[in-house]
Amino acid sequence: MSDSISSRLTPRAKWPIFIGMCLVAATIIYPLFFVVVTSLRSNVDYKRDPFGLPVDWTVTNYIELWDEYGVGRAFLNSLFVSTSAVAVILILATLAGYALAKLPVFGSKFFTATFVSVMLLPGPVLIIPIYLVLARLGIVGDYSGLILVYVATGLPFAIFFLTLTFKAIPDELLEAARVDGAGFFRTLWSIVGPMGASGIATLAVLQFLGTWNELIFALILVPDAQMRLLTPTLATIGKRFVSDQPLTSAGLFISALVPLLLLTFASKYIMRGLQVGLSR
Amino acid sequence: MRQSKLVGTLAVLPSFVIVAGFMAFPVMFAFYISFTKTNGLTYDWRGLDNYIAIFSDPIVHQVFLNNFKFLISVPLVIFSALVCSILLFEQFKGWKFFRVIFFLPNVLSVAVIGLIFRNAFGYDGAVNQFLGLFGNEPMQFFIDSNYSILIIILALVWSGFGYQSLLLLAGLTSINPAVFEAAAIDGAGWWRRLWSITLPNIRKVLGFVFIINILYTFASLFGFVFVITAGGPGYETTTIDFLVYLRAFSSNNLGSGAALAVLLFFFIGLLTLLQNRVFKLQKDD
Repeated sequence: MSDSISSRLTPRAKWPIFIGMCLVAATIIYPLFFVVVTSLRSNVDYKRDPFGLPVDWTVTNYIELWDEYGVGRAFLNSLFVSTSAVAVILILATLAGYALAKLPVFGSKFFTATFVSVMLLPGPVLIIPIYLVLARLGIVGDYSGLILVYVATGLPFAIFFLTLTFKAIPDELLEAARVDGAGFFRTLWSIVGPMGASGIATLAVLQFLGTWNELIFALILVPDAQMRLLTPTLATIGKRFVSDQPLTSAGLFISALVPLLLLTFASKYIMRGLQVGLSR
Repeated sequence: MRQSKLVGTLAVLPSFVIVAGFMAFPVMFAFYISFTKTNGLTYDWRGLDNYIAIFSDPIVHQVFLNNFKFLISVPLVIFSALVCSILLFEQFKGWKFFRVIFFLPNVLSVAVIGLIFRNAFGYDGAVNQFLGLFGNEPMQFFIDSNYSILIIILALVWSGFGYQSLLLLAGLTSINPAVFEAAAIDGAGWWRRLWSITLPNIRKVLGFVFIINILYTFASLFGFVFVITAGGPGYETTTIDFLVYLRAFSSNNLGSGAALAVLLFFFIGLLTLLQNRVFKLQKDD
């Protein structure tokens, strides 16, 4: 980038930009900071001085949510459903992506066209028929139905993404493996997997965020309160306890925790996914 | 060769079966349902009745109009994203860190973002507490439809501008730096370069961002509406996708909801076609 310095602003002119960007960043950070601080105080304390720091820091909101409103259970339910869905997506999309990228496939154009054409399908179109289909199969209120829906809605992009990733693997490597007598699964396991590892990791993070944050299917396909996932649980708590902001803030922080941790530790992968998302 | 062709096909098949069964088939099923009166158990063929009812339904008219009100968010998001991306492009100290911060709202659920805004504008929320510092009485923002719409728009802008500024930044980064240098040598100032090089060169990405914003306002406001206003007051903030949900699970005729979903499907399809055309036009020049 050093060769293009002449066409950029001088370092002195960059100071106002830096300060302006800090202000913009603050509009993102401050609301989250406010949520975290509010979640760590009592409602009385909040109403006395909402913008100051709490007089007594407390975790009672978290304990209350965990013990009385089933947030702990919902958290584990979400973890189970998201992990299962992502695992299935990764396995199926790796198989399909590898085949479409590197192997001859009967009617490969037809398969690709199907995956691409459903990729941009608006969610509202699906809710009624999917509900009816799952009801007919008798799996509404069962995690298998929800996981199946997450897999189906996640797969088209996952396959598109992994096909692109695997296309970058040199054919010579695969050919060498074939000459050595490696079969389909052996090649997949010892060459395609390791070579495409960072792409697979990126996909895993993106799909996990998607299923963890999903609201509408989680809401309608799992009506039983005992089995509720975290995002719909949070949405109902938020609507019920409008006047207890510290309590809802604690719920917000619990729901946001996993995505924020992922962003902190896997931002490299998330940022890489962004580039591919654009080329779509 | 024939053997590996079979292996390849078998590897794609499981994914295809799931996608066909739980995405492609439901869409066709939605078409069928939209011509019937159904409670999910029995299906009575009603022809175009559901569609005729929708076109003469004043609530649908109002809801469609509401969607257009939410379009105000589009220029706001794009303008803020554009300003941020141009400034990030200057690559000042720590710009990579800012990229991650700007992306932050994108990893959060719409339910989380929606509730942050609902809380902030609630009766004892941060906004009222702040106004209270100047001696103002707390306001009930959510009984006023204009405030309600503005709050949802604010949530849209807050959660959208960061990601979109990164999309635009990717577009800026792909401009050949030699063009900027040539302009700088010719004595073109910063503003002049912005106007005659930077902006024209990213018009393709701008077009893309424009379309995804419009698609988003028509098909993905469900989460925000659900947690922030629940469509109220009345139907003042109900969007089409939220109405599909309301009709589907609160009335005894799923057919009506399905017909609405099908219309939305065609509307979105039209916009997507339009997007493809715009892209094609720009590939040619």
